[in-house]
Amino acid sequence: MIVLENAGKRYPGGFEALKAVTATIQKGEMVAITGRSGAGKSTFLKLAAGIELPTQGTVMVNGQNIGSLKEAGLAVLRRNLGLVFQDHKLLFDRTVFENVSLPLEIAAYSRAEIGKRVRASLDKVGLLNREKSRPIMLSGGEQQRLCIARAIVNRPSILIADEPTGNLDQEYAAHIIELLKSFNQVGVTVVLSTHDETGLARLNCRRITLEQGVVLE
Amino acid sequence: MTGWLTAHVQACARALQRLAAQPVGSVLSVLVIGIAISLPLGLYLLFTNVSAAASRVNTDPNFNIYMSLDAGEVDVRELEKRIKALPNLGSVRFISKDAALADMRRVPSLKDLMASLEGNPLPHAFSIRPSSADAGALATIRAELNRLPKVDRVVMDFEWAEKLRRFATFAERLVMLIGLVLGLAVVFVTGNTIRLQILTQREEIEVSQLIGATRRFVRRPFLYFGAAQGLLAGTVAVIFISVLVSWVGKELLALTASYGSEFALQAPGLELILLVICVSAFLGWLGALLSVAMYLYRSR
Repeated sequence: MIVLENAGKRYPGGFEALKAVTATIQKGEMVAITGRSGAGKSTFLKLAAGIELPTQGTVMVNGQNIGSLKEAGLAVLRRNLGLVFQDHKLLFDRTVFENVSLPLEIAAYSRAEIGKRVRASLDKVGLLNREKSRPIMLSGGEQQRLCIARAIVNRPSILIADEPTGNLDQEYAAHIIELLKSFNQVGVTVVLSTHDETGLARLNCRRITLEQGVVLE
Repeated sequence: MTGWLTAHVQACARALQRLAAQPVGSVLSVLVIGIAISLPLGLYLLFTNVSAAASRVNTDPNFNIYMSLDAGEVDVRELEKRIKALPNLGSVRFISKDAALADMRRVPSLKDLMASLEGNPLPHAFSIRPSSADAGALATIRAELNRLPKVDRVVMDFEWAEKLRRFATFAERLVMLIGLVLGLAVVFVTGNTIRLQILTQREEIEVSQLIGATRRFVRRPFLYFGAAQGLLAGTVAVIFISVLVSWVGKELLALTASYGSEFALQAPGLELILLVICVSAFLGWLGALLSVAMYLYRSR
């Protein structure tokens, strides 16, 4: 469960990306954070993922107040979340397999377990036959699926995806939406940001709309 | 425990992969650090070898009293009596001019010189070993000996030993200083290598941290890398110095043997080898630690 209580974020320089936002995302729920560019969607997700800390209010993730966690505690929290980044953040000098195995290496899984989980994860996103390829050899949609494979490889209870369908054509975007819905159907809490109305219609989930750092509805 | 061990094994494997991924760069770095370690190690070996040779030389205080050439048997007995009456003296040994000449004749290199002598130019002498090594007491004894009749010259034979001791202390400190400076150089060279490693892997570090890597996880492979580099460099230094000692040692032994000495360079022992390799690995680890710590501090 994710709870934001009057959570705000002011960056050095004075820009206030989020202003006293209060929102609750229940366990197993699928929620879309919507709004125009610069509305605070990414900041909302960064707070929920413990990548940024609130400058006001509190953010609770799985019962933990991220503001009171130290660096190691935040790292462990993020290890238990699945994160899909807007710019993918793939390692282009590593293979598809190695990119997906990174979270498991961080969590110190054995080689055998890593192999099993990575292949299962790649199978889910339809990239099992590309495990030895480099990300540069993949299309935009495949790179996004690779990013999702990396996010789900440690079987997280919460999946946070920032613009997962951004810059993808309708066909690829639909595929990604279906993929996220399938994870939600097996109990994973999915929080994603998007401004793609077609995708939102397909998702058919609760929305939290932001406008200049404030929740509209 | 298993997770901890797995994390270390994986970090170690990653470090070795990084070393192997850039063979030329790795070999050059190891050689540079190895040569830097060789210098203090070589100086230390030279110092310990010379110290060991010097320790075999008697450095106890000793006075040699040379009588005037006209001193006769009566003068000798009178002087011996007066010397033995002085305080703070241990042993007193008389060396007659005939015994001294006989000793010199036994030295092969002085054979021609001895043959050309018509008489005995040597004086009677006394060799005295004081019971105290205190500088004040020795100066008093020297002054009293100089006042005795028929004494031509008093030589304190330990002054050179004192100079040797001071030189040995100076050399020891010099070796320590050079070792310290080059130890720092090892830390900086390793730190710089790690800094370059970090720059090439900055993206991987950032992504890893975003998805849950702790600073410890980021740091670990670099620490293994630094330690491995130091360990290899220490091994290179030990091999280099051992080969050098073996090569120079034979010639030195032959040279000193021609001067009637048995001075031979000793190669580093097992304890020293292990110490050098461990210290070298530690310095590499320290360089890596400082470099990663600086990066992580800046990237907060």
